[in-house]
Amino acid sequence: MRELSRSLLLLGPLLLFLALAYVLPFLGVLRWSVTLPEPGLEQYRVALSDPLVLSVFWRTLRICAVVTVLSVSAGYAVALLWVRGGPVARLLTELCIFIPFWISVLTRAFGWLSILSNRGLINSSLEGAGLIAEPLALVRNEFGVIVGMTHFLIPFAVFPIASAMRGLDERVLMAARGMGAGRTRIFWRVFVPMTLPGVLGAALLVFVFSIGFFITPAILGGGRSVMVAELIYLRIFQSPDWGLAAAISVVLMVSVAVFLALLLRRLSPGESR
Amino acid sequence: MNSHFQEDCIQILAERARRGEISRRRFTQLAVAMMGAAAVAARGTPVLADTGELVFVNWGGDAMTAYDQAYGQPFQAESGVVVKQDGSGPTEGAMQAQFESGKPAWDICDADPFSAQALGRKGMIEAIDYNIVDKAKMREGFGWEYAASSYFFSYVIAYDSTKFETAPTSMADFFDVEKFPGKRAMYKWGAAMWEALLLGDGVARDALYPLDVKRAHDKLAAFKEHVVAFWGGGAESQSLLLNGDASMALVWSTRARLLEQDSGGDIKFIWADGLLSPGAMAVIKGNPGGAETAMKFIASAQDPARQVVIFDLLGQGPANPAADAMIAPEDARFNPVDPANQPQQVALDMGWYEENYGPALDEFLKIVSA
Repeated sequence: MRELSRSLLLLGPLLLFLALAYVLPFLGVLRWSVTLPEPGLEQYRVALSDPLVLSVFWRTLRICAVVTVLSVSAGYAVALLWVRGGPVARLLTELCIFIPFWISVLTRAFGWLSILSNRGLINSSLEGAGLIAEPLALVRNEFGVIVGMTHFLIPFAVFPIASAMRGLDERVLMAARGMGAGRTRIFWRVFVPMTLPGVLGAALLVFVFSIGFFITPAILGGGRSVMVAELIYLRIFQSPDWGLAAAISVVLMVSVAVFLALLLRRLSPGESR
Repeated sequence: MNSHFQEDCIQILAERARRGEISRRRFTQLAVAMMGAAAVAARGTPVLADTGELVFVNWGGDAMTAYDQAYGQPFQAESGVVVKQDGSGPTEGAMQAQFESGKPAWDICDADPFSAQALGRKGMIEAIDYNIVDKAKMREGFGWEYAASSYFFSYVIAYDSTKFETAPTSMADFFDVEKFPGKRAMYKWGAAMWEALLLGDGVARDALYPLDVKRAHDKLAAFKEHVVAFWGGGAESQSLLLNGDASMALVWSTRARLLEQDSGGDIKFIWADGLLSPGAMAVIKGNPGGAETAMKFIASAQDPARQVVIFDLLGQGPANPAADAMIAPEDARFNPVDPANQPQQVALDMGWYEENYGPALDEFLKIVSA
């Protein structure tokens, strides 16, 4: 009991901050969604039936799902190299994770633009090598958005996976080897299943983070890949309809929360806590 | 749309300053000339302010310096009222939030006329007092009930002249990919694009309004495969042409000028079928500095010499027709409202935008992102 009250005391300031900075404003958003322009659930009806809103939701979920799968897969490979590679590989991996991690999202988006555009690095090399006649459409479309977002999110996938890999009991692997399993088999039957909680954690983190992306899709999407964060911005500032913006935000929050709850439930038996 | 445009002007200013080509000397000359005149004017009666200061809200960065030098400091010199520049960005939603807070911190906003009109009708914007603000110092048709004309920019056709044998001369050419091969670029937020689409579809300039949005969107749906990107910012529009992603684009006139310079003249632009877009000043209802002082500030910003400073720094066309003749002759061809340029263009109808912008933009984005 004393333990509990002590930890509450320590957590108190954080909880208070979260309540003031997040919960309170969110309640305001919730209120807007049912009171603007007039009381009722009309805005939710619009948010759930308007073809533009639905298409934006659908695109956002689709892009985020693809980005999550790609980031986590790449993140797994990078984490493996980082945790289990030799000293040089570790150092190089570390640099490759941290340097982009510290560069602003805007700079990185423009960097990708100059690599992927018609006269960019890739297209001019391919054209120079005579492999293509017309430049490939690598950017200003959904493909470009996915590349940029995946690149941004890989570090966020690497950290939880790497921590799961570090926490792995080495003796289990030794036991598997002692029982005569080969490297491939140990990897797929022992190593991967035991780091799966880290993978799911990474997927969660990446997916939730990716939902709110704004700058990267705006720059690399060529104006075509409007995602939900941009739609909410539009409804708040450009052609104001705060009620609808609030309803979209609430729908987004609730759907992400439900998704999280489901995933966490699946995740928790695998963890010792 | 104005919001995006204004942010862009700031970028342009920064870029020009970086390249050391900003007409600093001219800028200083004009500023000094005005300060001198203002100092003389200061001996007159100073206006009485509620708070003794005004907050002018624009789009931040170096434009704050430009507006301060062109409008803020001369006004302070003649009235004693300090004008603070605030770069928060007065989008329609942000202005509404200021009013609804019950205690606005903003006085004057650099706003889209149609946004100011829409908010004005909801009682959130002060009506322009045309006893203080001089309608005779505005171009005909550009003084609104809740917004005072302050500058102009235009959506114009810019093209890569190395890619075509002949130059495009109209919006019909913009949409003609047979005659003018290559990809196009258009503006993401719809404004002026409906007009362009209709002009391209054969509607006459004087028969545009009220816009046949359905027809414009049919045209867009049929044409969009030729559009490499719908740009959201001026720098983006510029790079689309400079990087060769597009052979022709609809861009802001301020950017068209830079494109011409940066490409060594390879990228040219035309005023024909340009879509002239007005910027305006609006006053938040219940503003802290008092409505009368704010109106006096707006009136002081009608001074043609001060508007020329803004043209020199940001490339925005002056609202006061008397300023046209004060622009350096070699720069006159970049002035969207120059007597030689304006008749070739169509002015966007703010009344139409006030009524229809939101729903039309939804439809536009639906097609663009489909």
